[in-house]
Amino acid sequence: MEITRKAYSKSSAIQKKKKTFWKAAKNQKMLYAMSLPFVIWVFVFNYLPVWGWTMAFQNFTPGISFFEQEWVGLDHFIALFQDERFYLTLRNTLAMSFLGLLFGFTIPIIFAILLNEVRHSLFKRTIQTITYLPHFVSWVVVAGIVTKMLSTDGGVVNDILMGMGIIDQPFQFMAKENWFWGIVTVSDIWKEMGWNAIIFLAAIAGLDPQLYEAAKVDGANRFRRMWHITLPGIRPTILVVLILNIGHLIQIGFEKQMLLGNSLVVDYSEVLELYALNYGIGLGEFSYGTAIGIFNSVVSIFLLFLANGIFKRYSNQSVM
Amino acid sequence: MKELKKIFSLIFIVALLSFMVACQDNEEDVASDSGDDDGTIELTVFDSDTNSDWEEMKSPVGQKIVEDTGVTLKPEFDIEGGQTKIPLMIASGEYPDMILSKGGGQLVEAEALIDLAPLIEEHAPNIKKMLGEELNRLKWSKEDPSIYVLTNAAVENQAMSPNFGAWVQHAVVKELGYPKIRTLEDLESVIREYKELHPTIDGQKTIGLSMNTDEWRIQSAFLNSGFMMTGGSDDGEYFIDPETFDATLHYRRPIEKKVFEWYNKMNAEGLLDSETFVQKHDQYTAKLASGRVLATIGPDYLMYEGQSALREAGMEERMYGQYPVTLNEDYVSHAYHSNGLQAGWGISITKDCKDPVRAIKFLDYLASEETQIMLNWGIEGEHYEIVDGKRVIPEEEREKRNNDKDYLKKTGIGYNFLRYVPHWGDGVVDSTGQTITVNTREEAIKNQTDIEKEVLAAYDVELWKDLYPAMEEFPVKAWGAAYNISIPASSDLKVLNQRALDVTKKLVPEAVLTSPDQFDEIWSKFMTNLEKNNIEKAEEEYTQLIKDRVELWNN
Repeated sequence: MEITRKAYSKSSAIQKKKKTFWKAAKNQKMLYAMSLPFVIWVFVFNYLPVWGWTMAFQNFTPGISFFEQEWVGLDHFIALFQDERFYLTLRNTLAMSFLGLLFGFTIPIIFAILLNEVRHSLFKRTIQTITYLPHFVSWVVVAGIVTKMLSTDGGVVNDILMGMGIIDQPFQFMAKENWFWGIVTVSDIWKEMGWNAIIFLAAIAGLDPQLYEAAKVDGANRFRRMWHITLPGIRPTILVVLILNIGHLIQIGFEKQMLLGNSLVVDYSEVLELYALNYGIGLGEFSYGTAIGIFNSVVSIFLLFLANGIFKRYSNQSVM
Repeated sequence: MKELKKIFSLIFIVALLSFMVACQDNEEDVASDSGDDDGTIELTVFDSDTNSDWEEMKSPVGQKIVEDTGVTLKPEFDIEGGQTKIPLMIASGEYPDMILSKGGGQLVEAEALIDLAPLIEEHAPNIKKMLGEELNRLKWSKEDPSIYVLTNAAVENQAMSPNFGAWVQHAVVKELGYPKIRTLEDLESVIREYKELHPTIDGQKTIGLSMNTDEWRIQSAFLNSGFMMTGGSDDGEYFIDPETFDATLHYRRPIEKKVFEWYNKMNAEGLLDSETFVQKHDQYTAKLASGRVLATIGPDYLMYEGQSALREAGMEERMYGQYPVTLNEDYVSHAYHSNGLQAGWGISITKDCKDPVRAIKFLDYLASEETQIMLNWGIEGEHYEIVDGKRVIPEEEREKRNNDKDYLKKTGIGYNFLRYVPHWGDGVVDSTGQTITVNTREEAIKNQTDIEKEVLAAYDVELWKDLYPAMEEFPVKAWGAAYNISIPASSDLKVLNQRALDVTKKLVPEAVLTSPDQFDEIWSKFMTNLEKNNIEKAEEEYTQLIKDRVELWNN
């Protein structure tokens, strides 16, 4: 009796579950209908273009139909992997995206925590505004400012260094290959630090003041309070931002590299996207360009998994 | 929940509104597209060059054109020669009515352009008259003799100012007693002497030699000086042997090493601006305008901005004179070596054009004698006057022409419209025997500043061009200019060229900036790198292209 009842209830549970899904779907048909446009949007803009990847396996000629294209298999990928320049650009892409993540993520947190300790509210607000304004300046302008500042001909940085007697000849920042990654990273931080700190400042503002008071009573100094209350308090926010940043590893873009670079540092400034643009679209070699693009995506996915792996190890939480 | 509903409905309303607005725009587009033969029509044109003087058909000249033809041009200007946008157009398959390209190879391959030959034959008497026999040069290839690209070059041009040279400040030559400036060595000693005399100018450090090397300008100013200093004429990255038509990547000529070695020496001695290969175009122009760059080397069109800024600021003694400097006296400057009619770059009508006949008629109108005069001189009674049957620019107007930076924009004169059609060059005369362009010898002399006249007189000439070997001294190049031969999209020459250029742009500046004892080493590394990138194959293919062109044009 007991067994049959159990068996019965089990089979009915499955039936019920099946039923409930369709029932729920029916009940929520308006919700499904409402989400449909977004599903279509994602499909059209994120999945349909993947069809263009077929170009990488053809000798694509514009203007003729898909069926008339000449198929060449993996030829373009083989050419790509034999290309020295490709490895250079790959190295540069990886290096600059990691530097960007490492510093572009940690510095705003430190900045937000420190700024939060500032008592004077007017001063605090002024600093905040000043630091996030560069976010709205385009890279063209930023690149102009950076080259001007690092110029050997009356550039501010060189003037200061010479005035302090650290160097006796102007230093050619923009002409040194080894400095390029650093310059890109620092100018990126200068541009985005304030903006990225806003969200952390908001999170800090939401922390319960009682916690601080309690800590104070217990004799915790300022540093202790930062370490034991502020940081753990904004931990969820940090995680969310990290997830978003990892997602953006894919798009390190090429404007900064293009605008700040010059022919002397090209071995350190050319990134995959720029390479795809120059050799793909620039020369009308659509197939080769697509092959680079595909590989770029592969790199991004690899980066994503790597970052997620590290993340999981330290936080026991997974992004994906 | 109620709040949420409110927000959602708001979002929906905004979305709906923007969608409606978008639809409305479309309708408007359709309405303006339709235009009949007598009515007005808007022709879109993609222009591979920038034009900061574009006047939106609102200037007096622009208005007159609209009135005469009913055509309103709607150009889209590009900052990088259409390198990205033209391939994107091809990929999307949507074209404007006309495209002004720097070589239509990709477009022809994609069958985006229509054959202009029958249209010119039927509707364009003025263009036919202007180009005459040389219309032959516009044929595409042996297999396909269609005309896809109508050149926009100057016809029979005898430019009043040379297109390349070494530029030296008037103040420098004046103070040094007008030394002869004919070779790189002369140039070097002039710069050195003056720099020693004046370590600072207006309180800022004197810069000996600076050059504009921002992006593509590194080719036109710095890299091209390799062949310009050693008796070559401008064929882009290649040097073409005038007898055998063999193409050589010009750096591979042993003699050019000497030129770049000279730059290296200049750098070692601190006479070369240390920022030469780092500075952007605006930084360079600003330096020229500050009046402390003693000399520069490059084409004339990279000098206009700096020169006019100096003139406007009244620093006329800091403006530049132009000298035909070469490596040594065995070579002469080929700045005036004529290409003949330049074919390759120019305007095309696309297959998407609303009305190709209207388009060609419009271009023909621009090429007519009457319009050409208007585009050069302006409107009679407004920008020039006729005195005793001769066109004369009044003093007041000339003042504006010389000193008002926005003159072209305000009037519509000049390259605003001339850029779209073949146009008569300097020195060509119209049916009344007067020159069609404003740049006559007399005008050129009138436009000089006092100090410029003084310097020229000291060198015993009237114009800078008199220092140069004249056009008649060189035979017309049978292949035109090699750089505007369009490379078939299927050929791998494009990739080979790009690779060679990548190597060049990196290693030549490196060679110049290194210490003199390492120059040889880097230069030979440059040579081996070029070979590794299959430059010999590229040269072979290029030679074939040149030979094909010579054959096509001379039949």
